[in-house]
Amino acid sequence: MDWVSRQFSTRVIALMPVAIAINIVLGFTVQKILNLPIYLDSIGTILVGVLAGPLAGAVTGALSNLIWQYAPVIGPGSNIGPFAVTAAVIGLLAGLWGQLGVYRSRPATGSTLYGAALLGAVVVVVLAWRIYTSPAYSDPANGYPSWVYGAIAIIGAIAAIGVAGFILIRRDAAGAAVAVAGAITGIVAAIVSAPIAAYVYEGVTGSGTDLIVAVLRQGGQDVFNASLGQGLFSDPIDKTITSFVVFVILASLSSRLVARFPLGERLAPSAT
Amino acid sequence: MTDSPLADLHEEPVRLPDFVARLPGGRYRTLNPATKATFALVEALVAFAVRGWTGPTTMLVVGLAAAAWAGLLGRTLRVLVITSPLVLSIMLVNTFLYPGATDVLWRIGPLAATAEGLTAALQAVLRVAAFVVSVAVFSFTTPADDLLADLERRGLGRRAEFVVGAALQTIPRMRERAAEIADAQRSRGLDTEGSRWRRVRGIVPLAAPMVFGALSEVEEQTMALEARAFSAPGRRTVLRTLPDSAAQRAVRWLTGLGAVVAVAGSLAGWLRLP
Repeated sequence: MDWVSRQFSTRVIALMPVAIAINIVLGFTVQKILNLPIYLDSIGTILVGVLAGPLAGAVTGALSNLIWQYAPVIGPGSNIGPFAVTAAVIGLLAGLWGQLGVYRSRPATGSTLYGAALLGAVVVVVLAWRIYTSPAYSDPANGYPSWVYGAIAIIGAIAAIGVAGFILIRRDAAGAAVAVAGAITGIVAAIVSAPIAAYVYEGVTGSGTDLIVAVLRQGGQDVFNASLGQGLFSDPIDKTITSFVVFVILASLSSRLVARFPLGERLAPSAT
Repeated sequence: MTDSPLADLHEEPVRLPDFVARLPGGRYRTLNPATKATFALVEALVAFAVRGWTGPTTMLVVGLAAAAWAGLLGRTLRVLVITSPLVLSIMLVNTFLYPGATDVLWRIGPLAATAEGLTAALQAVLRVAAFVVSVAVFSFTTPADDLLADLERRGLGRRAEFVVGAALQTIPRMRERAAEIADAQRSRGLDTEGSRWRRVRGIVPLAAPMVFGALSEVEEQTMALEARAFSAPGRRTVLRTLPDSAAQRAVRWLTGLGAVVAVAGSLAGWLRLP
């Protein structure tokens, strides 16, 4: 019981509404007003998970989607409610990363720093390769236009360079861990979302990402695998960006403030 | 005046202030918030989980009837129009690109519209429409404060109530703040309206002040909550009680059970509806 109640201290309870509002306002702006093919609606969820723990993160994620769906003005007409399950899983994973100390700043120099940058880039490439060879892409009946594979290769390369660059510029080896955590969160989110999108919305969501679904369908995938393929394309990118945003936010907050949260001590910079 | 919780503390019966005592008026709106929430959840559950035509169509008709009874048909139909990108996408992608469908209706270039795809698309559109109508009727007729007050009376914890209530209050404040920040950044030359790439580059100068501003309030909120005995044990007295009736309780249980049976039957396969 202590493990549960520790995650819902008054400070966490005060943070959760702010985190939910950040999710909804940023997500709404990015998806509906800027019309971008990413979501950016889980910054608050991951923030709460990392600061407070898996349960607090899961509750924040699920409530974000449900409140978004049922809120006046912006709610009716959106279709995010059924994805509350995905949001809860994202928060749960964020809490796990928080408890493992993934987001702890690790200032490094010299060979440690270059080693971390290389490791980060290699892991991103390996994960991109795993996505590239997943069943959602690898056995099409008619074959895909080559730009699908080209796009994955280019995005994987950009992500690898971005992660390595982040680590080198900030001189912080934690970037490698954050990238891995973000990418894994994205892969899990895609696996959880695909059955929901397929079962509820027959595979499409009414946003720009439907184009990817259409291409995969044209290539011969069934409803579920086309949604999975679209998720495996969008979610790792989205969650990796979100994880880095959360990492930068946490690094900019004063450590006095961060230390008061349940997992604050796992975020304090390491002594070395 | 025994229905006022403060009555026994005073010799004179206490008159509650108008904003506490005033009850919602109008058709459908006078139902207890729990009843309206049950209807919304049952409609969503049946529309999504009972496959085929019958489930979603019935729920859409029920939802529209409730909207019409509450005098909200126009507003509800306007909300349905907002979902047109999703509806269009469902129709196009499934009609022309339905996996494994062979019964071609007509061809446009390399794409073939199939009857199977059209059926799946129309059923998905019905599900979406039924769900959207259930959400619209619920959120147009049920103020969040009423729902939370009623749920607290039924045993919802004050932490959960605070999180949901405060989040709902923070969203419009934060959207206002986002507009102010956008104005401020524009006045120093940020381009927020040009090409898509320009707008993407505008995200950080807009989002960063919003996020940090909001997070800086958390510490003050924590102090304010602690100063008002937020973590004290015991329950709060709920002043605002919304009328409920045995009939409504019975309807809630019946519709809830009916939905569970229908969904279970549909998933298990012994309830076969067209």
